[in-house]
Amino acid sequence: MSLWDPIWLTLKLAGLTTLILLVLSMPIAWWLANTRARIRPAIEALTALPLVLPPTVLGFYLLILMSPESTLGGAWVRVTGEALTFSFSGLVIASIFYSLPFAVQPLQTSFQSVGRGMMEAAATLGASRWDAFRSIALPLSRRGVLTAAVLSFAHTMGEFGVVLMVGGNIPGRTRVISIEIYSAVETLDYATAHWLSGGLLVFSFLVLTVVYLMNQRGGMRTGG
Amino acid sequence: MSFDIAARFAGFTLEAQAEIPPTGITALSGPSGSGKTTLLRAIAGLEPTAERSVTFAGEVWTGKRPEARGIGYVFQDARLFPHLSVRQNLDYGARRRGTSVAELDAVIDALDLAALLPRSPERLSGGEARRVALGRALASRPRILLMDEPLTGLDRARKADLMPWIARAVAGFGVPALYVTHSQNEIAFLADRTLGIAEGRLTGWSPAAPQLLGRVVAAVDGRVDVALGDRTVRLAGRGAVGETWALPLGDAYVLSTQDPGHSTAPLRLPATLIEPPLDGQCRIEVAGQTLTLPWTAPPDAAPGTPLWLTLTRVTGRLAGPR
Repeated sequence: MSLWDPIWLTLKLAGLTTLILLVLSMPIAWWLANTRARIRPAIEALTALPLVLPPTVLGFYLLILMSPESTLGGAWVRVTGEALTFSFSGLVIASIFYSLPFAVQPLQTSFQSVGRGMMEAAATLGASRWDAFRSIALPLSRRGVLTAAVLSFAHTMGEFGVVLMVGGNIPGRTRVISIEIYSAVETLDYATAHWLSGGLLVFSFLVLTVVYLMNQRGGMRTGG
Repeated sequence: MSFDIAARFAGFTLEAQAEIPPTGITALSGPSGSGKTTLLRAIAGLEPTAERSVTFAGEVWTGKRPEARGIGYVFQDARLFPHLSVRQNLDYGARRRGTSVAELDAVIDALDLAALLPRSPERLSGGEARRVALGRALASRPRILLMDEPLTGLDRARKADLMPWIARAVAGFGVPALYVTHSQNEIAFLADRTLGIAEGRLTGWSPAAPQLLGRVVAAVDGRVDVALGDRTVRLAGRGAVGETWALPLGDAYVLSTQDPGHSTAPLRLPATLIEPPLDGQCRIEVAGQTLTLPWTAPPDAAPGTPLWLTLTRVTGRLAGPR
């Protein structure tokens, strides 16, 4: 098995998770940014839970939820013919939960800064709610969308505990970079561990630099 | 249009029913916190819980979303879209409401926006931003313009610059306007009538402030010559020969029984007393028009007494259809 297998698998997982997360998080973030419902703090806490919960705890509950004996896991087996646990599909679902706050929070902050006023102005000019969201809120939140995408991608790239709980360690199927590193260290293959760890380190540093650079530019633009 | 608005917020109740004439500028005036803005927002459909009924030209607006009402709203803070250029801001409503290129060009021309079109809203001065906001609302072909203190936060000179544009836009495009303000100056210059509001209740109508009407006989380079009887006065502003202009008197006039002779005042007109002062108001005839003005007359003033009306400051605007 080559070194590229876990890298390709991880990139595929992070890319797919990011795409699905962006679509799922937008309505959640929009609702959180605009609602005055009393239930809001509870929903906010729920979406932020993966930030503080140990990945093993999240992984444990997801494992229970996705097992073929559960309602959800059983339904998945009936529809697709394969179990969610220890599969790539299961990893994607687990990663969506795991990285949810990294997508929702930047989007929510961006949507909040667009403000009700801009949406009202669009409505008085003949734009429906969806039209105003598409033509005003989304372009004004493009930095938030980009931050959400970059952070979700990077966070999924470095995932370990949840993957191990839900996906195990199956080469080419669920063995992502972080698990490959763990396996390499366990078998004293330090060269592989160095290559992959160094790669993740540089990647994470670059990603964060890009995010902060984007924030700085945005800050200067609105400030000026 | 007619409306019946009721809203309840913590410590504040708004209850207002009225019928608004479908022409000219109706000022909605009252002190801060009297409910003016809430009333305007409710008419626009921006306060869905507040409206009991709103109808416009026989069409029921109650429960309709703002975008389906065909209103134009000018917000206090302009609310231009910062990611779009001035041109794109104007296009935004124009495209959604099917405004023709010729109609859009007319708005750009009337508000003198051509030079601003490529600019970003972030690069506009306060006065320019308000002008673009007015243009954007007009470009969406509104059936009624709702303006919420569109001159707030500007200095006196900037306000004086902008008021003729507003008058011109409303009169020139024949769109009725509901204009929220607490400025007597703006009411005197712009309003064809005023609806008062205080503590969430409408307090009644007042007519337009006294004004003289004149015909434009010459127009060049941001100046117009307006004829009033046999006198002509030169005013700042853009206009065209043949237009009728209104010259609001505001508080910048003196009424006297004696000819003030040569003075530095820009306009002095002979007048005749028609009706002696009653409750401090008297009716006079001047330049073929009848005006009712507050005046403390000398005790011997009788109908037919010759008078002089001296305007110490003259401003004017395009008058709406009447």
